[in-house]
Amino acid sequence: MPNVKPEMRVIFTVILILFAAFLFLPLLILLVRSFESDQGFTLGHYMSLGSNRELMTAIGNSVKVSALTALITTILGFMLAYSIHCTRIYQPLKGVLKTVIIVPMLLPTITYGFAIMYSFGNQGLITRLAGRNLFEIYGLNGLLIGYVVYTLPPVFLLIHNAFQYIDKKFIIVSKLMGDGTMRSFMNTILRPLAGALGGAFVLSFILSFTDFGIPASVGGTYPVVATQLYQVMLGSIPDFNQGAVIAVLMLIPAVFGIWLLNYLEKWNFHYDKLSDIELPRHRVRDIAFGVISSVIVLGMLSIFAVMFIAPWLSSYPYDLTFTFKHVRDVFQSSDLTGVYRNSLWVALLTALFGTLMAYGSALLNVRTSLKARSAVDMVSMITNTVPGMVLGISYLLLFNGSSLKGTFVIIVLCNIVHFFTTPYLMAKNSLSKMNPSWETTGELLGDSWFKTVYRVILPNSASTVIEMFGYYFINAMVTVSGIIFLVSAQTSLVASKIKELQHFAKFNEIFVLSMLIFFTNLIIKLVCDAWQRRTSVRR
Amino acid sequence: MLKLQHISKQFDDKVVLDDISVEIGTGEIVSLLGPSGSGKTTLLNIILGLTRMDQGSIVFHDQDLSSVPMKKRGFNIVFQDYALFPNLNAYDNIVYGLRNKKGTVSEQEVQEYIDFLELQPHLKKRISELSGGQKQRVALARTLVTKPKILLLDEPLSALDGVIKESIKQRIQSIAREFKLTTIIVTHDPEEALTLSDKILIINQGKIAQFGTPQEIVHHPQDDFVKQFIIKQLHIKRQNIYNLFGEHYA
Repeated sequence: MPNVKPEMRVIFTVILILFAAFLFLPLLILLVRSFESDQGFTLGHYMSLGSNRELMTAIGNSVKVSALTALITTILGFMLAYSIHCTRIYQPLKGVLKTVIIVPMLLPTITYGFAIMYSFGNQGLITRLAGRNLFEIYGLNGLLIGYVVYTLPPVFLLIHNAFQYIDKKFIIVSKLMGDGTMRSFMNTILRPLAGALGGAFVLSFILSFTDFGIPASVGGTYPVVATQLYQVMLGSIPDFNQGAVIAVLMLIPAVFGIWLLNYLEKWNFHYDKLSDIELPRHRVRDIAFGVISSVIVLGMLSIFAVMFIAPWLSSYPYDLTFTFKHVRDVFQSSDLTGVYRNSLWVALLTALFGTLMAYGSALLNVRTSLKARSAVDMVSMITNTVPGMVLGISYLLLFNGSSLKGTFVIIVLCNIVHFFTTPYLMAKNSLSKMNPSWETTGELLGDSWFKTVYRVILPNSASTVIEMFGYYFINAMVTVSGIIFLVSAQTSLVASKIKELQHFAKFNEIFVLSMLIFFTNLIIKLVCDAWQRRTSVRR
Repeated sequence: MLKLQHISKQFDDKVVLDDISVEIGTGEIVSLLGPSGSGKTTLLNIILGLTRMDQGSIVFHDQDLSSVPMKKRGFNIVFQDYALFPNLNAYDNIVYGLRNKKGTVSEQEVQEYIDFLELQPHLKKRISELSGGQKQRVALARTLVTKPKILLLDEPLSALDGVIKESIKQRIQSIAREFKLTTIIVTHDPEEALTLSDKILIINQGKIAQFGTPQEIVHHPQDDFVKQFIIKQLHIKRQNIYNLFGEHYA
């Protein structure tokens, strides 16, 4: 490791100041406001929670629907991952499954709700195909479907990842030892995956508990914590102290959940040596899982199908003639194209500066001997814990009177902090695998530290940098919960505009804007993937 | 002439180097020999300027370098794992440093180093396409074109297999002769040290066990450690070779 250079200290200080100002200070203010009243500090706001019947119901509802979601999603995610890793279903189908499952990640959660309404509502696509109303969607059922669709991709990725560390040779060994199907399954699949499955449950629970987009669209009169928080903060009589209390309440399960997630990580098996082995043939298993996994993925896609169909029809579902009218209207509305342009800018700036910040932090953390470098690890743990809504409210409370209020800067900063953890860990992982002597070698060959970073370190982590950029861009494009409290009339983004359009029942506009987000993200994803492949082929 | 005077180093409470004093003549090959954890790599890093010493001084040609930073000392090192840059091909690795020191080395000189190390056929190859010996030579070339005043090698042979090992050994010796380059090598292998270098500095638990020529060490080991650790190992090796070829090959 190279000796500490002044320029490293400068960058490190800048990063720490940024996190102090845009993570620690806002959270501190949030905590202070939750105890604050006319008579100074008090526990009054917390005490009065018990008598707030509606809020108590909302908390109960949130816990119930999140737990139910987590259970269903974990089971579905497991079945999908199992189909990919432990069956001999048709290979290309596995590829399709892995790709399609990612689709919901390219859309804001608020869109899911409207897609569900148009699919399962009274005149919905699926309702009409089924010939009758399957169930009441506003409330518990709608939320459940939305949350499951929303959390299935990350849950699947988590289990899928864990499966890659399982030695499948043990399946064969277990068979040879004469284990029955059940015992073999328990010992070679379930037990090694226990940590990951627990983690999947917790992850799905936290995501559902803290999401705002889905209840905002299909929640109906079924109160959950996220909608309560929104009403208290931006309703007819805003109560910031009450809002701070609810935000703290939302933070508590998130903190506990992340702690649990880290704890469960230790449960995972880590076989030291993995080998590929052919799985035994089993026709019934393969057909069954081929069908199940296809149904899961098709079911998910069918919900979104309407979104891609409705805006092209005159007046879905009554007049089904094809028309460009709605799409043209959106593109001709300077209001809507302006909002789209805003979103693009925010996503680009977030991706650019976010990647810079996460990469810089990781670089200083793993490739220098700065004394306080582990501080960033703590930061990344905190950013992983704080839900977007909580961060947004904290910003609202701290920066309300400042000139940052209603600017793009504050939105971009919120996004950078909100999504910091994953790109930071990506960079850390990649940078720590590189030869530790490169900086010293570069220095001996006459480079400054910056020069070696630019000429050697950066080119060798190009693939990771692209991945980080894509992650930041897509998340900045779809987030609702993080920015809902921070947008102003001038800085309105697509995801928040959709919330507004809902009041005027302009669903065609909502879907056209959603399609725009979707295709923008899809293009970014494809370009990033192709670019990544190119940089790694050259190695 | 490189003089190390009373060099000591502690990491936390652990004494890694304790009062090391040695003089190394210009153009000499000197091996730092010792078991792992003996402090030999730390000493190499102190000479390089990467690690700071707690006490002592380094004098090179009557100039005190003790507080001169690594970059300005003019020494260079080839690391054990070579630290080649995988985003650049072999040639671009070799000329990497020239961009920072324009005019110090002519293109013709670069070509001479390339020819000397027989790297011509491999110049366009990616680092991942090179064999261990080729990587070693590329790393040597990259270091040599910067015209270091002292060449430091950290375990230069440990990652190489049998036959290549011998040829790289010869190569290192011919570099030192050809360019009159003082070369300091870290190794844990007594055979390597004694067959490669002019002088050997044996370090045990941070202290000098013996400093001398291969003959002096073999025939007049100074303490029990040198006898037990160094000489005994060589005796066993010799015995094994005798057993294979028969006494008369001695």
